[in-house]
Amino acid sequence: MKKHEDDAIWIRIAWGDNFSKPNHLKPTYVVHHLHTSYVFISNLMAKHKIFLCQALVVATRHGSIKDGHLSTRSLTAMRDLLLRRYQQVFPSAQSKIQQERDSPPLHPCIGKEHSDYEEMRHQMACEAFGHGPTPKLETAVYKLETRYRGNGNLTVSDREEFFRGVVRFSSSSLLESLRNCVASGMAEGPVTPLLSAITRRGRNSFVITDKGPGVSSQASAPRA
Amino acid sequence: MEGRGSAVNTPASRPVTRKSKSYGRSCVEAPSYFWQTPGHLTVLKVPTSRGAAKSQIITNKVDPEHIALLVKNEWKLSYVTPLHHFRHTQLKSYAKHLSAFIVAEKQQGVAVEVGLDAGFKVTFTAVLGLAETDEDAETVFIQIQSKPVFAAAADAPKVVWRGWLTCVNGDPEYLRSLPPDFVSLPLFCTSGPESLTNLVKSWFERAFDCNFGSLALNSSTLNWLAALWTGCHPACNIRYLKLSWSLPTEPPLDVLYTVNPQDAWELWNSIHPQENTDDRIDIKDVQAFMSGMETHFFRHFKIHLSAGTLLKVSTALGSAHHDGKIKIGNSDYITTLLALLTECALLKMPT
Repeated sequence: MKKHEDDAIWIRIAWGDNFSKPNHLKPTYVVHHLHTSYVFISNLMAKHKIFLCQALVVATRHGSIKDGHLSTRSLTAMRDLLLRRYQQVFPSAQSKIQQERDSPPLHPCIGKEHSDYEEMRHQMACEAFGHGPTPKLETAVYKLETRYRGNGNLTVSDREEFFRGVVRFSSSSLLESLRNCVASGMAEGPVTPLLSAITRRGRNSFVITDKGPGVSSQASAPRA
Repeated sequence: MEGRGSAVNTPASRPVTRKSKSYGRSCVEAPSYFWQTPGHLTVLKVPTSRGAAKSQIITNKVDPEHIALLVKNEWKLSYVTPLHHFRHTQLKSYAKHLSAFIVAEKQQGVAVEVGLDAGFKVTFTAVLGLAETDEDAETVFIQIQSKPVFAAAADAPKVVWRGWLTCVNGDPEYLRSLPPDFVSLPLFCTSGPESLTNLVKSWFERAFDCNFGSLALNSSTLNWLAALWTGCHPACNIRYLKLSWSLPTEPPLDVLYTVNPQDAWELWNSIHPQENTDDRIDIKDVQAFMSGMETHFFRHFKIHLSAGTLLKVSTALGSAHHDGKIKIGNSDYITTLLALLTECALLKMPT
């Protein structure tokens, strides 16, 4: 165990059992930021998971431990996303001014036709995914268990069964891609809660179900 | 020429004299618009409907060993114009010539790397039975083997390159219109190093006065494959329907939508109920199928998939990539896949 300056404890665990010595070549790393309720785990085998969870709960004197549904390659990205260490944008008049400063001065004879819509989209995109450099996530996975909502054929949309599927978004920097998607108009605004949940809830793995007799699909509660 | 046709993406390498092609809004048996080729008496049509994928126990017609060669490899596609004076009886002699050509080319301009590529062994095999109609020429399979540099004398040579030329269900009018000396095997599939592929192509170009070109699969072809493969589900479990798009954001965003096969099939069945074994699928059904799934996606994520490109369609029966790469998963439906690809090759060929 080692404590770093930014109040993070690093723990390295080598697993062994009754028949073998601890294997130092495949250790599990655990990082816990004190004063937060997050623990980051890397390289953990399924059979050891339950032991580690029990140990962490006891050691940190918390009640229980739950799966966070967030996994990426970069520890810094995970930490920045969860602890909100990126430039967030909140809906207010001030942030609009910030954007005007950013845009380069244009030639006086060139006018942008849809500048209002562009600004609105840019604003929505930044509100959902942050401004400037964002934490570098690679993927987001959505397991869809909702009723079919395609066009046309009524007989299909009246069915009770779900149209199951899994959607996987991937990119070298997912949040930037999504932000660009919204800002350029490829995604319609307002940003759907399914996508903004990545930043809002700090997750990148979701199970989407129809909630009640209603209309919209929402991200379900995290599975324990 | 009834109704307004919709414009279709035209590949960039087209000769200028071609008229634009479009799908006719007509009933099933009237085919779509034609394009006249200069100096040619025939016309090639873009079909608006095609038969449903039929399962065939292909091993009845084709040697299972040959089938095993085709399945489970990833193949890069090209089209080739008709071959002049190609004889299926001369395959052994062609093999010798190609082998000598490759060795000569490899030694050209190379310093003193004697024995690096110690001899190439080329085999041409005729894969009988894949041809569907009388006009189709038999498939030819080419294999290049070579011994690695430090191999022992007793080591068997390794296969370093494979390729095959085929024509399955090619347009009969077009094939009949070819002058008698020409054999048309428009689809060329290769697997192996690019350098060897180019050598084989240049040998063919010199020996048979033909022309090669890369065959990309446009979204229309990929849509057809998605629909045809999904339609096979009750007979043969496709296990998944994976559709992969790429959106031009900065950095590019890849979307992989894996649809549950049973649900995909039920959607397809509701759009195009299976009537009888001889039914024809119209392109409108295919478009409705794809747009249904895209709309379902849109209702959740509000992202327009049409802003991106459909890059890859994949099921347990095989996969097809926009860049012109295919993989054949299951030999039972190989004829349908090859017929579709032969048609793409014939359409893409400049004449």
